[in-house]
Amino acid sequence: MRQSQGLLRAAALAGALLAPALAAAQSAPGVTADTLRIGSFGALTGPGYLYGRLVMNGVEAVFDQVNARGGVHGRRLVLVREDDRCEPGAAIAATRKLIHQEQVFALIGGGCSNATIAARAEIEQSGIPFLVFASVHDGITMPRARNIFSTALTSTIESQAQLAYALEQGARRIAVVSMRDAWGRARYQPLMEEFRRRGVSPVADEEITPDANDATPQVLRLRQANADAVIMLLYPKPGAVFLRDAARFGYRPLAIGQSGIADPAAFEEQVGVPGATARFVTISMVRYTPDMPEVAPWRDAIQAKYPGDRLSVFNLFGVGAAQVLVEALRRAGPEPTRERLIEALNGIRDFPTDAFGGGITCTPEDGRCNKTVVWIQKEPGGPIRVIGTTTVR
Amino acid sequence: MLSYLLLSGLTTGSIYALVALGIVLVYKATGTINFAHGDQLMIAGFLAFTLHVLLGLPYLVALAGAVAGSFALGAVAAQVGFRAVLRTSLVNVVLATLGLAFVLKGFARLTWGGISDYLSFPPLVRPEPILIGDMVLLPQQLVVTAGALAVMGLFALFFRLTTIGKAMQATADNPRAARLVGIRVERIHLLAFAVGAAIAGAGATLMAPLTLLYPDIGFMLFIKGFAAAVLGGLTSLPGALVGGIAIGVVEALAAGYIHSSFLEVSAFVAIMATLVLRPRGLMGGPPPRRA
Repeated sequence: MRQSQGLLRAAALAGALLAPALAAAQSAPGVTADTLRIGSFGALTGPGYLYGRLVMNGVEAVFDQVNARGGVHGRRLVLVREDDRCEPGAAIAATRKLIHQEQVFALIGGGCSNATIAARAEIEQSGIPFLVFASVHDGITMPRARNIFSTALTSTIESQAQLAYALEQGARRIAVVSMRDAWGRARYQPLMEEFRRRGVSPVADEEITPDANDATPQVLRLRQANADAVIMLLYPKPGAVFLRDAARFGYRPLAIGQSGIADPAAFEEQVGVPGATARFVTISMVRYTPDMPEVAPWRDAIQAKYPGDRLSVFNLFGVGAAQVLVEALRRAGPEPTRERLIEALNGIRDFPTDAFGGGITCTPEDGRCNKTVVWIQKEPGGPIRVIGTTTVR
Repeated sequence: MLSYLLLSGLTTGSIYALVALGIVLVYKATGTINFAHGDQLMIAGFLAFTLHVLLGLPYLVALAGAVAGSFALGAVAAQVGFRAVLRTSLVNVVLATLGLAFVLKGFARLTWGGISDYLSFPPLVRPEPILIGDMVLLPQQLVVTAGALAVMGLFALFFRLTTIGKAMQATADNPRAARLVGIRVERIHLLAFAVGAAIAGAGATLMAPLTLLYPDIGFMLFIKGFAAAVLGGLTSLPGALVGGIAIGVVEALAAGYIHSSFLEVSAFVAIMATLVLRPRGLMGGPPPRRA
């Protein structure tokens, strides 16, 4: 009798101790005894699929690896995808569906900046932890929302790194050629602030429209200003027109691009004039090119899971972001809640991934967790090479 | 610097002129503006890309294919989409052409949008810049300028020397009178849309190495081509050429001598000023009567 009473007391005590944890686990949306549902939104269709579907494929490759090793605290990771088609309205609908209908535990996603910015309010209000994997606009992470983190480089970080790189290379007369649409302004303004902060003035400041077919006036003005380095805040099309016309006049300054021109091989073709990209460097978010042996395991994983696909840098964005999320999920413990995951993300310090240029650090004050840009260059007719990194502090 | 800027204006203006020629041709025959013209041009560019780059066919075969494909697309669009509305109000025609523009853009995004952001198209001639005197230019720029001149010349002859061309002129001048003398006005309208699209096909294949290809290129080219057509006079084929080159030159001079931020606005200021002084454009005649 006494023994059974003891057992009852022990059971009651265990129940009392475990109840909050069980309740928390049960109340955390997207968490079951054996699964963790993670939502992702981005473009699955249309030209923006590079920043959506391909990045998600990288995330899924990491989840598969984690699941094959037993999951996170015994739970399999399940990725639930929604298509935002790079459209603001679709992004809001996608996040609402993931949060309220699919009841996912956390979000990892965001391809096109305009779509992700539109979804920010919904995500911030819901309090769901969100890790941005590709969108670069500062407005997504700033001002700080406590539940939003990003492993994508932001436009401010890239602009600061561009100027730092020009100065590191010994450039004395630095010029800027930029687009002044919303995308361009998001980079132009922080770049000008960085010029002021460093006490440097651009020797020329020219503008090109996104659809420009000729850049002769801009090239002539930059040449007249004798600029030895040009910071390009341009999409590939105006960037290609600019370098093509610069080559026409034999003007070959150090041309410093950013992640808007992420594929130097395609860019070389777009420029179309042999040798015109010889002094062009650009920013990559990842420190490896898809053909490097260091990423062979991910190349095999992607090609096995998605027959016909070849590993791309966009897959690697997803690999790096997913590794950060998985680490935070581990740190959130066996009974995860959204609050614990946010706390765990805020505790990530100098975390190494298989993709990014440097360690990932997130803090309660700054959700921009990746501050290391990787410089890549393609010698005309040669392979793409990683030539260095710049960490912005 | 002046000579470089003038040459830059000439080559860019040739692109605008090639677009404007198709717009003017349709306007001359039907009295309406085809707002889908830029997107027909974009589709023609992708068609040439498919034939030349993806299927490996020779450039001239791709050019012929793009022209023939565009002609067929223009004819089908006119028959299915515009024939009925041409008899109604001008607003309905405008809406029909705008609708076609969106359909074409969507089709291009679905079909070619996943290949790359901007597709490069190999030039017809060598890619290295050449020197003419102290002028530096790309051979493909010469090809575009020559193409614009050739298309304009061919259509000037077409309107003067061929029966169909004369029938088009007659229909544009007075559709009722044309009908009375036995001209099948609906067929002329269909032909105008088809030939206008064929010009877009030729233009797209010539300019694609300079402009690159992407689904949104049509609207920008249409705006500049339409501006060139308005400046030159909507009823004048030589006016389209003059208007295109004038806009290109004004843009280049403003960007070169004032600042690059003046490039876009300068052309439209020049157009407004011209239209205040010459409401029918530089070389335009009276507008065609609608049937």
